[in-house]
Amino acid sequence: MNDTVITEKPVEAADQRAREYLTFRLDQEEYGIDILKVQEIRGYEPPTRIANAPDFIKGVINLRGTIVPIVDMRLKFNCSKSNYDAFTVVIVLNLQHRIVGIVVDSVSDVMSLKPDQIRAAPDIDSVIDPESILGLGALDDRMLILLDIEKLMTSSDMGLVAVA
Amino acid sequence: MADVHQDSGGAGTDIDLSQFYQIFFEEAGENLDQMEQMLLNLNLETADDEELNGIFRCAHSIKGGAATFGFSDVAELTHKMESLLDKLRRHELKPTSVMVDVLLESADAARALLACHQSGTVGQGPATADLVQRIQAIVAGDAAAAAPPPAPVASPVVAVAPVALTPSAAPASAEASGVRHLILRLSKLDHAAQADAVAELFRDIPGLGDIKPVLAPDIAANERVYDVQTSSSNEDLLDLFAFHVAREQVSIQEAEPVATLPPEPPSAESVKVETSVSHPTPAAEGYGFFDGAPGAPKPGDSAAKVAVAAPAAEAPKAMHSVKAPSAGALQPEAATIRVAISKVDQLINLVGELVITQAMLAQNSRSLDPTVYQQLLTGLSDLDRNTRDLQESVMSIRMIPMSIVFSRFPRMLRDLAGKLGKKVDFVTQGEATELDKGLVEKITDPLTHLVRNSCDHGIEMPQDRVRAGKPETGTITLSAAHQGGSIVIEVRDDGKGMSRSKILAKARERGMEVSDSMPDAEVWQLIFAPGFSTAEVVTDVSGRGVGMDVVKRNITALNGTVEIESAEGYGMRVSVRLPLTLAIMDGMSVGVGNEVYILPLSSVVESFQVRSEAVSTLGQDSRVVKVRDEYMPVIELEKVFQVPRFNTDKTSDMMVVIEADGSRVVLLVDELLGQQQVVVKNLESNYRKVPNVSGATILGDGKVALILDTAALVRRSRH
Repeated sequence: MNDTVITEKPVEAADQRAREYLTFRLDQEEYGIDILKVQEIRGYEPPTRIANAPDFIKGVINLRGTIVPIVDMRLKFNCSKSNYDAFTVVIVLNLQHRIVGIVVDSVSDVMSLKPDQIRAAPDIDSVIDPESILGLGALDDRMLILLDIEKLMTSSDMGLVAVA
Repeated sequence: MADVHQDSGGAGTDIDLSQFYQIFFEEAGENLDQMEQMLLNLNLETADDEELNGIFRCAHSIKGGAATFGFSDVAELTHKMESLLDKLRRHELKPTSVMVDVLLESADAARALLACHQSGTVGQGPATADLVQRIQAIVAGDAAAAAPPPAPVASPVVAVAPVALTPSAAPASAEASGVRHLILRLSKLDHAAQADAVAELFRDIPGLGDIKPVLAPDIAANERVYDVQTSSSNEDLLDLFAFHVAREQVSIQEAEPVATLPPEPPSAESVKVETSVSHPTPAAEGYGFFDGAPGAPKPGDSAAKVAVAAPAAEAPKAMHSVKAPSAGALQPEAATIRVAISKVDQLINLVGELVITQAMLAQNSRSLDPTVYQQLLTGLSDLDRNTRDLQESVMSIRMIPMSIVFSRFPRMLRDLAGKLGKKVDFVTQGEATELDKGLVEKITDPLTHLVRNSCDHGIEMPQDRVRAGKPETGTITLSAAHQGGSIVIEVRDDGKGMSRSKILAKARERGMEVSDSMPDAEVWQLIFAPGFSTAEVVTDVSGRGVGMDVVKRNITALNGTVEIESAEGYGMRVSVRLPLTLAIMDGMSVGVGNEVYILPLSSVVESFQVRSEAVSTLGQDSRVVKVRDEYMPVIELEKVFQVPRFNTDKTSDMMVVIEADGSRVVLLVDELLGQQQVVVKNLESNYRKVPNVSGATILGDGKVALILDTAALVRRSRH
């Protein structure tokens, strides 16, 4: 009896282990990203503009000695407005080989989502490459768009990575 | 023939030598560690070639280094290890645990010997002759050697050991400094050549001493007796002889004041050096130098290991056993550590941040009332001093002395001068001047070129020098010195210098725009043009005209400058000015709109307020400006960087002339903000390459400013 519990539990846990997502808001939409990719959250400060960069790349900031590019997700995802106020937040992401800051309207929460709460995203045409959407998190009546932020930030249309 | 010598201005030759010693000791230590590790991990049955090769390489590098620096004992030991390992890796022998034991012991012994050399207590290292013999025995495939390590040699020792007990006073004087007078008896020789070989040692090794054969009627046919005067210890002598005769065949004794040879058989009074170390306990355990010595441990055994057992109190001091140093008594502390560059760079980054934060605090505290905030202000000024010191110390981690570069030139010049039939003295000054490691690596090639040039083009042939009233031997001086935030490296020679007229003629020949009224400095700069050479004969050394332009380009790439001074008939001087580190650059900050850009100061030629009539358009929208007699293309930073304008009244009216890749362009900016040292940051580590930008820096207020890539801007103006 005891034995079966011990042998079964890890398998179940691996399958059903909830993962934590940092959720943020862009206009009316709510997004979630893997919390382990987040280095820190800080207020928005005007970055140094980089000439001839796409408009959603706001520029670079000095993050304690490191030059970090800032991407405005609202511009990237064609949100209706992108004003900078006291609540505008930069999420500093620590991706595999680089540090990138993303501008969002606000950070809401850290959510635990179990795999059974995640639904596949329907195949629709959107500004977000379907490849970089992990799925849709169903939370009561809210919908979380779970992003594969690593894939999204390193994709070629982001223009953050030099094209080899 | 060339007479090249290094006449160091700052550090003496001794210091240089010891610097190299230090490097050798460190590397040898690392190699020994690595070898030990690999030996311990070695699986005897399945030892693969890679592992064996690795161990062999370790022994080989130590041997090479030791031989170079004249540590013959280490070299000899490692040489034996190497031959054993060589057989192993060529599969002539199968690795056994005995071999591993011997090799490990040898590694310990080598470490102890190195420690002795390092601490300068030469001659007090452990005896290695025995290890050498054991390794030899194994290499020779000696069946007996397969037995536990000390066994094969232990037996002969047992035979003579008791003899040693009688004249135990004799070796006491063995260590006495000064020349000793010894009677050396070689007995039971297989053939006479062995004795001759020993005698030859004294002739071949300088300072070993004198040897004279003693002819006496009582010497047996297979014996030789010599009268030896030497300052070496018995142990050293035995080590040397070990190449030719077995240890038990040798006996050394102090010569009697009477020069006649004692008539007794040699064994009766001879002193076995090894056994004299041991003490009047049975000899078998007296040989317990090493772990795993045969025989049950007896009370006297441990005493024998430290070689100072009471009965043998007078035993020579040289007889430190192998055990003693490895016990840690002589273990010197490592004077350096190796650290990944990335860690140092991170440290430099953090300190840079600290400095900026500190500057910010200092700025903000300036308005405080000193009477109210006295303590705070004192603390801040302490912080100021400490951060500065910290920054300096951290920056110095990456700094290495110029001697690393300079040391390669004496040899090169010697060969070169020999080839050219010139006589050259090479003088270096200020080789202790420190420079960033990254820069040192990059400056070596340009400097090599300059020195070769001096030798080839500068210094005349000896007869020409004499005719010109100069000493036959030319002098090339290489000097390095700090000047402000940069380092100035000079290559000077007292050769024929450069001929202004020749350079101008050559330039005209090549269709370059020159005039006779050009200032000297500009004429000399002509030699940096690609393909420019005034050498009458193209030699394999130089003269093809490739080079000076490359030198200039390399140095410019390091944010450095090259200046030439020359006096025909008296020589020339090339000064290379470099920033102390690549991480810091002298920059000029310029404002465009609300943005700040940094220009490398090294590429800024001049700046001036523009007069509207000086700017004219060429073609559709290209603009040129007339600066003195020259029209230069104008680059508007505002357009290149699409700077947004909030204040439409203001326009760019400052011009900065920049030079890169040999051409000049004019940058149109709003204002000049000042000059400052900036810490260069990579933009590509988190972003990607940005056109016309070489990097970024952080300004005093914490904002990021982009550093302009002047070379790219100049290229841009061309098409």
